[in-house]
Amino acid sequence: MTAYLIRRILATIPLALGVVLVVTISFDLIPGDPAALMLGEFATPEAVAELRTSLGLDASLPVRYVNYVIDITQGDLGLSLRERRPVTDILVETFPYTFQLAFAAITLVLLVGLPLGLLAASRPGSWIDNVIRVTSLAGLSMPVFWTGIVFMVIFSVNLRWLPVSGTGTWRHLILPAVTLALPSIAVIARMTRSTVLEVLQEDFVRTARAKGVANRSLLYKHTLRNALIPVVTVLGLQLGQMLGGAVLTETVFAWPGVGRLTVFAIFNRDFVLMQGLVLVLAMLYVFVNLLVDLSYGLIDPRVRYQ
Amino acid sequence: MTVDATTTTRSTRNDVWRRFRRNHLGVVGALIVMVLVIAAIFAPLLAPKDPAEQDLRARRTAPNAEYVLGADEFGRDILSRLIYGARASLTVAVSSVAIGLLLGSLLGSLAGYVGGWLDGLIMRLMDLFLAFPYLLLAIIIVSALGAGTFNTILAIAVWTIPAFARVARSAVLQIKERDFVTAALSLGAKEARIMGVHLLPNFAATLVVYASLYLAYAILMESALSFLGLGVQPPTASWAGMIASGRNYVTSAPHIATIPGIAIALAVLGFNLLGDGLRDALDPRSGKR
Amino acid sequence: MKTRFIPVLALVLALVMGAAFAQKTLTIVRPSDPVALDPQLETTAPGSWVYTQILEPLVSVNQDMEVVPRLATSWEFIDATRLRFTLREGVTFHDGTPFNADAVKYTWDRATNNDPPGRWRSLASAVEGVEVVDEYTVDMVAKAEFGPLLLTAAMPFTGIVSPAAVEALGSDAFTRAPVGTGPFKFVEWRANDRIILEANDDYWRGRPALDQVIFRTVPEEGARMLSLRTGEADMVLLPTPSDLPELEANPDFIVEGAPGVGIFYLAFNLDRPSVADVRVRQAVAHAIDRQLIVDAILEGGGVLAKSVIGEPVFGFKDMQLLERYPYDPERAVELLEEAGYTRGSDGFMRDADGNVLTLDALPSNGRSLKDREIAETLQEFLRQVGIAMNLDFFEWATTFTLMRGETLEYDLNSFTWFTTTADADYTMYSNYVSTELPPSSWNRWRYANADVDEWLKAARASLDPAERAELYGKVQDQLAVDLPAIPLYGSYEVAVLSADVTGFVAHPIQYILDLFPVDKE
Repeated sequence: MTAYLIRRILATIPLALGVVLVVTISFDLIPGDPAALMLGEFATPEAVAELRTSLGLDASLPVRYVNYVIDITQGDLGLSLRERRPVTDILVETFPYTFQLAFAAITLVLLVGLPLGLLAASRPGSWIDNVIRVTSLAGLSMPVFWTGIVFMVIFSVNLRWLPVSGTGTWRHLILPAVTLALPSIAVIARMTRSTVLEVLQEDFVRTARAKGVANRSLLYKHTLRNALIPVVTVLGLQLGQMLGGAVLTETVFAWPGVGRLTVFAIFNRDFVLMQGLVLVLAMLYVFVNLLVDLSYGLIDPRVRYQ
Repeated sequence: MTVDATTTTRSTRNDVWRRFRRNHLGVVGALIVMVLVIAAIFAPLLAPKDPAEQDLRARRTAPNAEYVLGADEFGRDILSRLIYGARASLTVAVSSVAIGLLLGSLLGSLAGYVGGWLDGLIMRLMDLFLAFPYLLLAIIIVSALGAGTFNTILAIAVWTIPAFARVARSAVLQIKERDFVTAALSLGAKEARIMGVHLLPNFAATLVVYASLYLAYAILMESALSFLGLGVQPPTASWAGMIASGRNYVTSAPHIATIPGIAIALAVLGFNLLGDGLRDALDPRSGKR
Repeated sequence: MKTRFIPVLALVLALVMGAAFAQKTLTIVRPSDPVALDPQLETTAPGSWVYTQILEPLVSVNQDMEVVPRLATSWEFIDATRLRFTLREGVTFHDGTPFNADAVKYTWDRATNNDPPGRWRSLASAVEGVEVVDEYTVDMVAKAEFGPLLLTAAMPFTGIVSPAAVEALGSDAFTRAPVGTGPFKFVEWRANDRIILEANDDYWRGRPALDQVIFRTVPEEGARMLSLRTGEADMVLLPTPSDLPELEANPDFIVEGAPGVGIFYLAFNLDRPSVADVRVRQAVAHAIDRQLIVDAILEGGGVLAKSVIGEPVFGFKDMQLLERYPYDPERAVELLEEAGYTRGSDGFMRDADGNVLTLDALPSNGRSLKDREIAETLQEFLRQVGIAMNLDFFEWATTFTLMRGETLEYDLNSFTWFTTTADADYTMYSNYVSTELPPSSWNRWRYANADVDEWLKAARASLDPAERAELYGKVQDQLAVDLPAIPLYGSYEVAVLSADVTGFVAHPIQYILDLFPVDKE
């Protein structure tokens, strides 16, 4: 087990190097000079060139990349080009908001999506199954910026139950979390339904049924255990995306999280900030995946880690 | 005990069709998709007005006799834009998912079937894509290549590849372990035969479900790009673009964004019902009843 | 012991709670978070709205476009290169250190030394620097004769910083926690969420009526408007224009606006053969119903542009554009036919070789009010007269880079230009002198007219307002004939306030938000 964990953690190194390399290369490919953007409308070409040199943008791609990697090993994520403060400070400020939102949303997904899927699977073909299938698709197809605004109009303006946007109290978290969770609830409900139905068709379940195991305990014990593995996998993917890409929800609800920071970094060509961001996000992705893999062992004791 | 591959396939095909017709929701889905495809193909004949023609004096008109579904913020006919929008939106969603499905399942099944170092390489590469914040990837692509329908498709396709690769790989691995494949192998069946007869149909069922789900994702992604102003470009109408630009009128003229929203919901519904129906028909072991 | 303690505690509690209840907080929502709270790094409105509360310049421009004293009490021109300021005595920075001539010099040195490298230096590039005459007298020295020196000193980006605070925090850290002499003090900045300021009790004009100002960042337009309606915000900057008529009629809200110094225009690239012919440019002008754009798309969020500079700007002259180029699609078609195009059966204009008259455009995107919508409308207006317009929407970094490129591969571009100093020189010199070409300057239309060059250079060197105004008038008349750009709308600086907010007057210069006289009932 320990050896497994160590191997998994070591495996993140090439991934981290890879994502940083992609960022480094991509900023050479996309037009837009961070120095020119910083200096604004009247900057002379000389001033821009001077700033480029002082920011270290002049160095060739391999040099910049290697320098950055050396800095990372010393725990230094560099200085944001635009904000001129340590990237680490910015990330430490921003990630807590993203964690709050993502975990609130993923909790909702578990609490609502999973039961809905099981309910649908327990009576396949019934009206309740159809209702769940159709409404979950509707949830999946509405752009979050639209559902977000509609929720605002209903719950904040008309009913006055919740604040429109921003941070502060737990009440500020409700609308963005629900909005972010909605498509994932739909995905998880669908996944749960179809995997449960699939497992129910498996030979061992049929055997158990033929042997006369009581229906209830059968569903819970055998089916759920086998059906949960793909569901957890997808849940992990959803969580990964929520951590990295809740741009729209954050924008609509003025939530100061990582998604907006990412857009800021790319629109301002602040690639030092971008490198730090994707690095941390890649680590999180690996961590979430590791959790998912470890959860397989909890769900199904037959799973072994080598 | 050798099985004739040709007869198996033919009888399977008939079974599939029979099973599909019995599935009412699946038929409904097929009908919805058919209507959309017809709208997309025959848009110039069906649309009552020129979708790009503006009448600023009629801006944000609520549905009436002249503008059956109302007019947007430029006074353009929403019905006509909806019909033309089916073109752009379906093109973007279907082509991006098709590209993602093709490349992804190719890479994934290769990884799953061959295994070893190739598996490691492909899946690490996919991890790299997945670990990258997805909108960031799309923005980088669109920033580098410029906004437009083709680049929107590309940006979304790239993002769907790893998901399909993962699904395909795990499906292949799972099927490889299944009793009937093991049995076929032990009975001396050739690998190619196994691929064709046993793996593909099973594998297709899973992929169809995923593809129908990812059509919804593709539409969501396009709307996200439109939200950032980087999606399908004017004057081309796309549903996502219509919602993105109409969302500021949520209190004064909610129909501008609501109507394309309903269109997207219907399209997603249609594709998914069709996908479910096909899945159930392709793989009778799974699903309903 | 116990019996005495409780009443004391109650008294303290009552005082604390009383103070809490009396707190007058003004919450302002606007679309984006600044990059920094220091003009050195941040010269866009979201930043300057905040730091102009904290950092004060020597002089500033009021809502009537008059130069008024701030940290300087008086000023006089020694000659056209040297402007002498007498400084206000007895003013202290928020950190308690005194304001004096050294602080002024320190602030300008910081800009000219480019530490941290920033934007302001380029805006005041005509200024050589500041010389200390005595403790309360400074000279601002220009590199050459420079008529607009006073208005340059009045730019909202020239707020004086506390040298002690910069030294203590370091130049980079100071950009996120500025210390100045203004009516409000910096308290806290939660990135992308809010910036909190509190009243400066020792402000030299007296303590402001508000105790606290909170600037919230709410990127989504709909959400900004909704937070005003729920009372979460007291003031919305850059409101949704289509909501304005209803809000104006609603007694719960106040709509306060002023015509601004920004002009949104459609610019031609005269290097491109397709628009080199003035008749084609005139046809484009006739093809666009500018009044309709202002009425139907801006809906009160902008005013019809009368010139390439805004009406409040010094040197403005009405270019008579509606009279010269009224909306007249037929006239546009005639002009195009005169220019050698014939209209095909598909409605598009073709040249002698049968090529459709196609104009590639690089439009402003999400940078100015309704820029994207206007681009779409222009595309449709031009289609009506047979011109195909390709729109290349990019995000700002790309657009900016392309616009500033040595060559511009586009026939048209659109952009809002703000005359930040409110002096015509700021815009006209950099935009229309033939040698002021990108990438170092802004003559993106590649406009060259020897008379215009001469007039603009003479106006820059002169200190005589009447002479300068006349020269700028001649330039604007010439631009109306040559038509390198079509001004579409003028900015309208508008804020929506909840009705209990008093004393707010909108400022024509977008970067200035005057909160000192504001109160809340």
